[in-house]
Amino acid sequence: MIPLQIAASTPSADPFIARLNSEGRAFELERTNGRTPFDVDLELVGSGKLVYRSASIELELKSVDVNDVDGDVVFVNPARGIAHRLVRAGSAHNTFLITERCDQLCVMCSQPPKRGHVDMFPYFEAAALLAPKGAVLGVSGGEPTLFKGQLLPFLERVLGQRPDLSFHVLTNAQHFDVDDVRALSRLPRDRVTWGVPLYSSDSEVHDGIVGKVGAFHKLAEGLAILARSGATLELRTVLMTRNVEALPALARFVASHVPFATSWAIMQLENIGYGRLNWAELFHDHSQRFEPVGEAIDLARSRGLDVWLYNFPRCTVPSDYRQLAPPTISDWKRRYPAGCDGCAEKAECSGLFEWHTDDRGFTRFGLL
Amino acid sequence: MKIWPLRFRGGASDGYLFSDDAGGFFRADASFLDRYVSGGLTARDKAFLHLGGHGFEEAGDLAHTSFAYRWSQRQAIRTELGYVILVPTLRCNLSCTYCQVSRAAENARGYDWSEETTGAVLRYLDRLMTSDVKIEFQGGEPLLRLDLLEKVRTFCRRRFTSSKFVVCTNMQRMGAEAWSFLDAPDTFVSTSLDGDSATHTRQRTQSASATEGFLSNLDQALERLGADKVSALPTIDIDDPPDFDELIEAYSSRGMRSIYLRPINHQGFARRARSVDADIERWNTLHRQFVEHLIDLNYRTGAGLEEYYFSQCLRRALRPGADEHVDLRNPNFFGSDYVVIDHDGKLYPTDEARMLSRIGRIDLSIGDVLTGMAAEKRDILNAASLNSFEPDCIHCAFQPYCGSDLIDDLSRYGRSDHARSSTWFCKRHTSVFDHVFELMYRGDAAAGHSLAQWSGIANWGAHLVPKLS
Repeated sequence: MIPLQIAASTPSADPFIARLNSEGRAFELERTNGRTPFDVDLELVGSGKLVYRSASIELELKSVDVNDVDGDVVFVNPARGIAHRLVRAGSAHNTFLITERCDQLCVMCSQPPKRGHVDMFPYFEAAALLAPKGAVLGVSGGEPTLFKGQLLPFLERVLGQRPDLSFHVLTNAQHFDVDDVRALSRLPRDRVTWGVPLYSSDSEVHDGIVGKVGAFHKLAEGLAILARSGATLELRTVLMTRNVEALPALARFVASHVPFATSWAIMQLENIGYGRLNWAELFHDHSQRFEPVGEAIDLARSRGLDVWLYNFPRCTVPSDYRQLAPPTISDWKRRYPAGCDGCAEKAECSGLFEWHTDDRGFTRFGLL
Repeated sequence: MKIWPLRFRGGASDGYLFSDDAGGFFRADASFLDRYVSGGLTARDKAFLHLGGHGFEEAGDLAHTSFAYRWSQRQAIRTELGYVILVPTLRCNLSCTYCQVSRAAENARGYDWSEETTGAVLRYLDRLMTSDVKIEFQGGEPLLRLDLLEKVRTFCRRRFTSSKFVVCTNMQRMGAEAWSFLDAPDTFVSTSLDGDSATHTRQRTQSASATEGFLSNLDQALERLGADKVSALPTIDIDDPPDFDELIEAYSSRGMRSIYLRPINHQGFARRARSVDADIERWNTLHRQFVEHLIDLNYRTGAGLEEYYFSQCLRRALRPGADEHVDLRNPNFFGSDYVVIDHDGKLYPTDEARMLSRIGRIDLSIGDVLTGMAAEKRDILNAASLNSFEPDCIHCAFQPYCGSDLIDDLSRYGRSDHARSSTWFCKRHTSVFDHVFELMYRGDAAAGHSLAQWSGIANWGAHLVPKLS
């Protein structure tokens, strides 16, 4: 597993953002006049430690390879002695966790919410502006739009200053109202993708899954506002025993009520958080019974929707649908069991979540 | 819940087809129709209509917004002019029995672009706003004027970021220079292959050896240029149609899996000795039989063949955005994204308009390459180029999927206001869409096998087509 936190020490008392530069990168910054006050240059590679320095910052990182972190943008919390890798330069899977608060309590939540909230927006903004060229940055939570008053201007400012960047925001879309159409419309529509979960066309089933009465109806209002704002929408449905048989009905609902979705992702369960706790009740082994998934895909695709299978190992998907299962599990939490070596489709495959134990697997799993 | 207006069609034993303005459709029986018209819908009816997006609670809610979105997606949008059909010469080295384009003899004079016209064409292209141009060379036989083709291609390659060229040729006489012109990766070939060689000879070449020459050139093109650069389609004479299996063999043996049965146009000189629309019933029967033949063949052999126009109509029934076929979309604005420049420099909205004008029945030119587009005349044509407000069309269950063809109406009936429901165009498309929906609801494995392929999905099933039972 790729570490997202590094043990760090610094003489500074307050938290700060820094971009880590090896000699080569530092030279390139000088050459292109790209140096910012956040840049720190590698000064020393010692036994099990790296020392970075700028005019105002000194930072020591422990037990990390210099090449793995080169170009990373870190948030250093001196009190806890941790550098959080907010933007890993070598990865396409960087996500800002805006808050751990959430107004839902989903039965399969991989990251159960907490009450407390620390405002990190100024740090995220600085980090985003330091991201590598062309990066797609994730925004997640908790529920980020609980802080939409800060979130929307943050997106607008960063995208205005960095025309090469784009964002992918995960939200339950229940906190938009008509007054937000203006702010949403001002965002460049092809550079912000809103990832929004919808679990059932039956409001009671959806509300039961997300643990919030009235969620479905608020979500419907939010989706209409996103549509009117011309937003790019990625609809997301986690596959569970509770919604799998009604997936074709959901496909019909999506085709008729959410046709403006740019794509629809049907996602396999993640075995962590509440997902691990409720695994026995929730997990649907699609390698045993794919039919409702296939029917939903066929219906949605026949109506012109783009449908994808996220987190579906390719060998567990019937060959007719396999090209719809790209590698979607983020690099830092993805693993391939030893048996996958030699599989012809390993490079195109999601593999498994790091925490997906072998006894909780798919009945059909094996080399292609 | 407020229900969007529903049109319906049918009355066969298995009930009615219903559709709304945005193209949503379902089947239901006569008792539903009674409940619908008498305002007696049950809670179950309403739940069904809600799921299918046929109603809403209030303006601006999700159901309302998504309906508006789907409706707007059904309208073919105007795009910038980027597709220009050029007729550098009207002369041809063949004289097909039904020539669609009113050809001139190979050695006739005065049927080629003059130097002045050639210059004006290049200046016209130069003024296009697009950065991405597609040029189609028509004729006559355009390869008779390879020098003009070269001139245009050289100019476009320099002028536009990207350019693509299609040469519509009979591939009858191919010299070394023609081959090397076609070798370029940005240049494509479109030709006619009317079926087995006897049919092709009868309709086009009038001699077996000429047909042999053509077929050998076609095979050489497929080999030399690659199958993705060569397209062919058959023109079908309803009075003497080819044998289906021989027609299919002529295409599938060459690796071509999409066959577009094209009826002889009622324009140009092809209209001589033909009644206005006596043959529509026969055409519809032939088309239906051909599609059924393919379904059977695909199911038995896995051949993977399609009739292009049927597939296109199927896709239009299922989803918005299938507007790439310029003969079937709504609205179908003329002089918008494509235009024809004739051998004398006149501009026409379509190739068919050019043919119809050539016989002197009506002047459908919309300007001249020297003076530009005659916007006022074009707008008169455009006022009649959408079906959305046609008195007959607004009651038709197929309106969202269909289009209109003013030029065909003019050519057959001499007027633009002929009752739409009695036009050749309407009868043809009503028949195709009836067939499309009949197959979608047929529920047999053979039909499902082909429908899945034609609509681009893995498996067809009854759940794809809503039915209130």
